[in-house]
Amino acid sequence: MYRLALNMLFGDRAKLAMLLCGLSFSALLMAQQTSVFFGIMSWTYTPVVNIRAHVWVSDPMVEQANDAKPMRDTELGRVRSVDGVAWVAPLHTSFLQARMVDGNFKLITLVGIDADSFAGAPAQITQGRIEDLRLPNTVIVDEWGAQLMGRPVKGADGKMTVVPLKPGDVFEINDIEARIVGICKVRRAFTGGPFVYTTYDRSKTYTLGARRTLSFMLAEPVAGVTPAELCDRIEKETGLKAWTTDTVIWNWSERSLAKNTFWWFWKNTGIPFSFGTAVALGLFVGIAISGQTFYSFVLENLKYFAAIKAMGASMGVLARMLIIQAVTAGLIGFGLGAGMAQAIGRVMIEKGMPPFVMFPQVLLATLALTMGISIVSAIIGIVKVSRVDAATVFRG
Amino acid sequence: MSNDHPIAVSARKVDMAFGLGEAKVTALKQADFSARRGELIMLVGPSGCGKTTLLSVIAGTLTPQAGEIEVFGQRLDGLSQEALTAFRQKNLGFVFQSFNLIPTLTVIENVMVPLLIQGMKHSLARAKAVAILEQVGLKGREESSPNALSGGQQQRVAIARALVHEPPLLICDEPTSALDKDTGAQIMQMIRDLSRSPNRCVVVVTHDFRIFRFADRIAEMEDGRISRVVDDPSTLEIQPHL
Repeated sequence: MYRLALNMLFGDRAKLAMLLCGLSFSALLMAQQTSVFFGIMSWTYTPVVNIRAHVWVSDPMVEQANDAKPMRDTELGRVRSVDGVAWVAPLHTSFLQARMVDGNFKLITLVGIDADSFAGAPAQITQGRIEDLRLPNTVIVDEWGAQLMGRPVKGADGKMTVVPLKPGDVFEINDIEARIVGICKVRRAFTGGPFVYTTYDRSKTYTLGARRTLSFMLAEPVAGVTPAELCDRIEKETGLKAWTTDTVIWNWSERSLAKNTFWWFWKNTGIPFSFGTAVALGLFVGIAISGQTFYSFVLENLKYFAAIKAMGASMGVLARMLIIQAVTAGLIGFGLGAGMAQAIGRVMIEKGMPPFVMFPQVLLATLALTMGISIVSAIIGIVKVSRVDAATVFRG
Repeated sequence: MSNDHPIAVSARKVDMAFGLGEAKVTALKQADFSARRGELIMLVGPSGCGKTTLLSVIAGTLTPQAGEIEVFGQRLDGLSQEALTAFRQKNLGFVFQSFNLIPTLTVIENVMVPLLIQGMKHSLARAKAVAILEQVGLKGREESSPNALSGGQQQRVAIARALVHEPPLLICDEPTSALDKDTGAQIMQMIRDLSRSPNRCVVVVTHDFRIFRFADRIAEMEDGRISRVVDDPSTLEIQPHL
């Protein structure tokens, strides 16, 4: 009987198309918006991903990775003296204006790393060498920054194109020369500015000798000590705040800087509400279109359901027929919607904008919500069919 | 048709009303009706006389407010909805006025419906449906859409669907109203032939006097009760309302 139920569904192609439109649009909206949301939220803790170390140490008032409260350099020695610390390196981060050759200004994230150990250096240098940062007035720029800060050139066809920055090019930070010695590949940040790496000492120069330039300290535990244990020790002995750097969203520890950053943005910005609204809208549109279309499908087939009822089909059989029809439509709609979301995501990832992170959990949640829409639609149909009197088949 | 044949369907003192208060409409008033095994009996009468209601009560799709209904030895009054559903599943076949063939299913799938409702395996149900379609002259049309068939062919499919599970009681509601004279006669001949079994009874509700000759008996209804039963349909005087 259930095979026939599916044939009834697939036989009405116009209704099926409408039903699938509603369900797939809904699944697309839910999956795509949630993935963009997680993409944007993953950008919030980009510094933790780009600047790699097992433990970050900060001022105790710091709440998240983009919130640097500069400390005195003497704190380095205090942390270094904590039992279980293998090494500690200074880290400077600040937002500054960079002046291009053409006189234009761009906001950058300046990252000052330890010139001895290069702790916190980008993992992937695509052009140049990290060691060249030891040369005077040198910086390494990320690929996106090289493009963003590139030189606009008028082509032969009259169109403007941008020639990306390359090693050897120069720009200014606070009127001080910054010569590019390398291009790196790092993840983009929520704050927007490209990453410009230099040495910790030179970052003091670029910030015009600010009194406190130690934004964070990067620390490594000795063998046998876990990052979490080291954090406990650092906090206990120095009164500073210590963070772990696990970035796997479903496996965050309580001390994770990424986690605290994620939730800080969750609580303090309108991003979750904005994307939540889009997801809720997807759910609402899905229920409205699919529920209405499925109800219309049931209404159109009501006399046949009444006939089947008269022939001796129990309400249980009819309910299962409707559920199978709705769930099948839901599964196809989910497949189409999630597939479209994936396709859009691929284009987004290639372009790098907007960020797109589709966790398997997002797909599972979208599937569950799409099934929820289908079940609601089926229930609407079941209520209608349960109220139809089998005797109506004799009324012409 | 012998009067000695045992009773297949009997309704005794059946009352049925719809609505309440001033809107109350009495459809059946102490209605008595009986049909015998091997018989094709027609229920005739003017619109609103209670034919469809009596048919629904006999078919177990309506529960009367008073009276007794017995179909092939099974009392229907007092049965739960679940029991009535199970009873209909095994014992009743329906031929509807507007065929009620599901247009999105093929001919054979429509015929398989009563068997699949009973839980029969798809392959077995298909084999039985093929056989009955051949019996009603629709061999080769199994995979057609009902909409691709003529009215007469559609009614043959409906008959095949009504009989595929071999029910003892066949209920036909205006089976020829959508058919031309010749096709209607062919369909009625088929139904009449099918009724010629000691284990079967056919009740036909109709307004179509052209098919009265196919009946063994005709029960005329008026104001919610059987006003007379004619044993020889050829003697029935055609009333204007018929």
